[in-house]
Amino acid sequence: MEFIFEGEELAGYEGEPIAAALHDHGIQVLKYSIRHNRPRGFFCAIGHCSSCLMEVDGRPNVRVCVEPLAEGMVVRRQRGKGNLS
Amino acid sequence: MIAEPEVLIIGGGPAGLAAAREAVKAGCSVVLLDDALTLGGQLVKQTHKFFGSEMEYAGVRGIKIPEILLKEILDAPNFEHHIRTTVSGYYEDGVVTAIRDEKEMVKFRPKKLIVATGALEKTIPFPNNDLPGVYGAGAVQTLMNVYGVVPGKRGLMVGAGNIGLIVSYQLMQAGMEVAAVVEGMDKVGGYWVHASKIARLGIPILTRHTILEAKGQDVVTGAVIAPIDENWRPIPGAETEIECDFICLAVGLSPLSDIFKLAECEMVYVPQLSGEVPYRTSEMQTTTEGIYVAGDAGGVEEASSAMIEGAIAGFAAAKALGKVIPDYESRRCILQDELERLRSGPVGEHIRGGLCQCSLEHKTEMN
Repeated sequence: MEFIFEGEELAGYEGEPIAAALHDHGIQVLKYSIRHNRPRGFFCAIGHCSSCLMEVDGRPNVRVCVEPLAEGMVVRRQRGKGNLS
Repeated sequence: MIAEPEVLIIGGGPAGLAAAREAVKAGCSVVLLDDALTLGGQLVKQTHKFFGSEMEYAGVRGIKIPEILLKEILDAPNFEHHIRTTVSGYYEDGVVTAIRDEKEMVKFRPKKLIVATGALEKTIPFPNNDLPGVYGAGAVQTLMNVYGVVPGKRGLMVGAGNIGLIVSYQLMQAGMEVAAVVEGMDKVGGYWVHASKIARLGIPILTRHTILEAKGQDVVTGAVIAPIDENWRPIPGAETEIECDFICLAVGLSPLSDIFKLAECEMVYVPQLSGEVPYRTSEMQTTTEGIYVAGDAGGVEEASSAMIEGAIAGFAAAKALGKVIPDYESRRCILQDELERLRSGPVGEHIRGGLCQCSLEHKTEMN
């Protein structure tokens, strides 16, 4: 099935963690850190380390290592703390 | 609405599932919560066969163990489980709150609480250790073995304990190259059988070596490693740059003990158990009555002992609830003996040393 990452349509498997789908496409940079704007990626895979927080369907701070992928999901790299808009 | 199960178990890994099995079979109403997408905890990625004896499913691949543990209880009317449910609090009136599916809050007021939350991979300080491409070794194992996705082409493994060795072998099996395994100690920490397997494949295991920095702008493109002296200081001028597109850190785990602190269980820092852990009786009860600990949450060890601790905790909670358990004492003794056997010998020495420091019986004796 298809999902959208930063405006680009990508293929993935339904139900796999979003982080796994992105890695399958070689996408390693998942967010930018709050203070120094440094790139951050996957680290613990169990939803505890906060290194993989992304914006999913407009919702910030989603732990993409434990969030299952769904058809049509819109996934974006998060910058800073994220906004609830 | 607040649900009131007799036993609430936090964590569906080896310890939590073993606890659930005993408590359900003893007739308790049991609810088990887990924050992951599947039950089984870290067993789901362990494609290697287990050691030990029959009681620990020796010869069975880790990935098969959750279904064995669940087989007898999955359809039981007194068992309920929720995945994708993250516990968010413990309150003074004994209420546990959790967020289910990232949407709804659920609440429980159990008579007994078994905390089997496991452990989190550690990191170590070096420049650029936050770059994408620096991964926990266990996380890479999940990515590969559960989801069939490889982390890169050529990796560096930091740490030659069992996780570092097993994951190095599995990286090779999945078609990647492992540039080297670096280990700060002067010897391999894991079992020789795992070390031999990767040495035979030609992977250098560099003891008394460490990583000095990760290279790269947005993602890892290399690493600098160096030999260290007996005071763990890098030997100047002896650095080597390694080309790799990912780095796995297998430098240990720390117990996830937040819930014990919320419940005001008396804690102690035990280096041999990799962190702060609750004091506990031999029946796995903490200093807060009705709160039990099992598995890595009470000190980092491995899955076999976690399952036995879970069984002891599940058993003990059921007994405390007044359930009739035939041969309670003799069955408990068998489990206790098995734990002692697993922790015997030189390999178990640091665990034994660590456990004395958080044993309530031992503490009472000392006073």
